Amino acid sequence: MARANQKKDQSPTSRLHALGVARLNLIGKHSEQLMHAYINGHFDEVSVNESALDKLVKARLLHRPDENQPLSLRPDVNSLIASLTEDERKRQINADVAGQLEQIRTRVKHFSDAQYRGDYSASEHHFQLLTEKVHDMTGQFSDAIASLWNRLNSDFGFVSNLGEKIRENELAQKQLRRLLDGFELIDFNELIELAQSSGPLRKLLVSQLQVTISDSSSSLLEVQKRLVELMARFRQQQERAQLITNMAAFLKQHPNFEVGDYPNRSNIPELINQAAPIIANASVALDKVGDQQVLGDIVRSIDIVSSCYVEPLTSSGEFDLEAELAIEAKHQQLKEDVESFFIDVLEQEQTVSALDYLADNKLDWDGEMWLFQVIAEHEGLTKDIRGRFDLHKDKQFEHAFNHVEIIRDVQLGLNG
Amino acid sequence: MIEHGPLLETLLAGASICEVTDSEAFRRLNDEVVREELNHFLRPLNRRLAQSQDGSVFFLAYQELNNDAREHLSKEFKQTIQSMLPLLEWMQLVQESMGRDGALSAGDTIKFQEFALRTEDNQSLRQRFNQLASDRFFKSNSDNLDSQLKQVFKRLKETGYLHQPHKDRQFYTVTGKIEQLIEMVRFIKDEESLPLDEMPQQESMF
Repeated sequence: MARANQKKDQSPTSRLHALGVARLNLIGKHSEQLMHAYINGHFDEVSVNESALDKLVKARLLHRPDENQPLSLRPDVNSLIASLTEDERKRQINADVAGQLEQIRTRVKHFSDAQYRGDYSASEHHFQLLTEKVHDMTGQFSDAIASLWNRLNSDFGFVSNLGEKIRENELAQKQLRRLLDGFELIDFNELIELAQSSGPLRKLLVSQLQVTISDSSSSLLEVQKRLVELMARFRQQQERAQLITNMAAFLKQHPNFEVGDYPNRSNIPELINQAAPIIANASVALDKVGDQQVLGDIVRSIDIVSSCYVEPLTSSGEFDLEAELAIEAKHQQLKEDVESFFIDVLEQEQTVSALDYLADNKLDWDGEMWLFQVIAEHEGLTKDIRGRFDLHKDKQFEHAFNHVEIIRDVQLGLNG
Repeated sequence: MIEHGPLLETLLAGASICEVTDSEAFRRLNDEVVREELNHFLRPLNRRLAQSQDGSVFFLAYQELNNDAREHLSKEFKQTIQSMLPLLEWMQLVQESMGRDGALSAGDTIKFQEFALRTEDNQSLRQRFNQLASDRFFKSNSDNLDSQLKQVFKRLKETGYLHQPHKDRQFYTVTGKIEQLIEMVRFIKDEESLPLDEMPQQESMF
C-alpha cells in the first residue's frame, strides 16, 4: 500500500486507478441522464453534448445494441444500478457457480506456483485476487438471496397483476433452483485438496466458504418453501377470480338457467341447509312476585306523554259514522263546486277571480278553504288539460319585515 | 349455558357468525364442547349448528329435514340463485375499480369513499354499476350514483355480506358469507357440470 502511493509512476496499477476514477466521475457527472436511461430503456442523446456522448460511449457506459437501436446503458451498468437500488424488476441473479469455481481453481494454482517459486509479492498479489474472487462469489450468493427475500416479502408488488406475479414467482423459483444446483458443484473435498497445507487457503476456501454455503443453503430452502406457498396462494386467487368471472358470464348468457331441485332431494347438500330465523320475543309478565318491583321501576321511568297516546282502533258508534259521512259529503260538495268554477271559466273564456266567483254564486265556503281547493284541483289536473288553464296567484307580503307571502286571490283563465 | 344466551339469540335470528362479524363468538364456536352444548339446546327447535366447508362461518341448519324445512330451503335456495349474478358482478366491480389482485375474500376491507370515487371517475365502471344497482337484488330506483352506492352497500350489509365495524365510519369488511357464496358457485358448477372452464377468457377483454 505504502509503495503504491510513493510516486505517480506510469505503472499499470496507477493507470488503472486513474482511469477508474475518471469513469466513476463520469457516472456521477451524468447521473441524471443515466438514471433516466435506466428507467426509460434508452439514453436521450440530445440531453448531453456531442463530446460528452462520445465520452460516455468510450467509457463503456453506453452502447448501441444494434444499428437501428437508440443508445442504451450497457448491461453491466444496468445491473449495477439495479443492485444499488434493489430494483427487483431488473436485478440479476448470477448463478454461474461453475464459472466462478474455474476462476478460483486457476487463481489457487497461480498462488501455489508463486509460493513454490518463492516470489512473495506475486503470491501476495494472487492471494488478494483469490480472496476477492471468493468474496465476490459469496457476495453474489447473499445478494441473490437478499433479492429473493425482497421479492417474496413484497408479495411481488413490483408487478401489477396476478398473472405477472405468478410468472415472476416461477422465475424466482428457477433462479433459486439454479443457485442450489450451483452449491452442489462446490466440492469441499476438492477444495481441501487444493488448499493443501496452506493455513490461509484452508481458512478461505474451506472453513469460511463452508459456513457461508451452509447458511445460504438453509436460507434458500426457506425461501423456496415460502415461494411455493405463495404460489399456491396466487393460484388459488387466480382460480377464484376465474370462477367468479366465468360463472357471471355464464349466468348472463343463460338468463333462464334452472338449477336442480336440491332442497327436495333425499340427501340435501350441507351448504343449502340454512334454517329459517326464529325471533325470541318476550312480553311483560306479572306472574312472578319478585319481578314486580323491577317492572314497576321500569314503568315509573317511562316518560308517558299523554298527547302521544293514540286511541286504539275500536269500532266507532253509529254517531261517529254519520259524522264521518257528513264530512265526506261536504268535501265532495266542495270538489263539485270547484269543478263547476273550472267549467264556468271554460265557457266564459275569460279570466275569473276565484273569490268573485264564490261571492257571485253565493256559495257557502270559507274563502281560504275555497282558494286551497281551487289550487289543489288545478294541480291535480292531467298535464295537457292543466296547460289549457292559466292560474295566477295574487300574492302579497304579509309584513315588510319578513318574506311570508299570502295568497289573496286566484285568477283562473284560459291559455292562448 | 347462560353465557351463550346472546350468541344463541343471534344465531336463531338467522345470523352467520364469522371471524369478521364477531371474533369472540367465532372463537367460542370453534370449541367442540360449546358446540355440543348449543346443539343440545337447539334440538327441540329442529336446529343444529352448521359450518361452511372451509370452516369460516357458523350458522344454523335444520336438524331434521321435514316438509316445512324443505319448503323454506326451496325458497331460500331460489333467492340465493337469483342473487348470485348481482353479487358476483359486484365482486368483479370492486376488484376492478380498486385494482385488486384477486377476488374479494373474507376480511378484505372496502372504503366506501374510495370505491365511490373510482366508480365515478370511470365511465364504463359507472355504467356497469348503474345497471347493477337497479337489479332486483339491490333494488335501487335512483339515477343518482351516490344514492345507488348507498343503496347497494345498505343491501350488502342487510344481507350479511358486509360488516360495518363503526356505525359512523363508511368503512366495510367483507364477511365469511362471501366464502359461502363462492362455495355455492363451485357447488352449482360441479353439480350442474357447467362448462365454465371452457368459457372464453373474459379477463383478456379488459
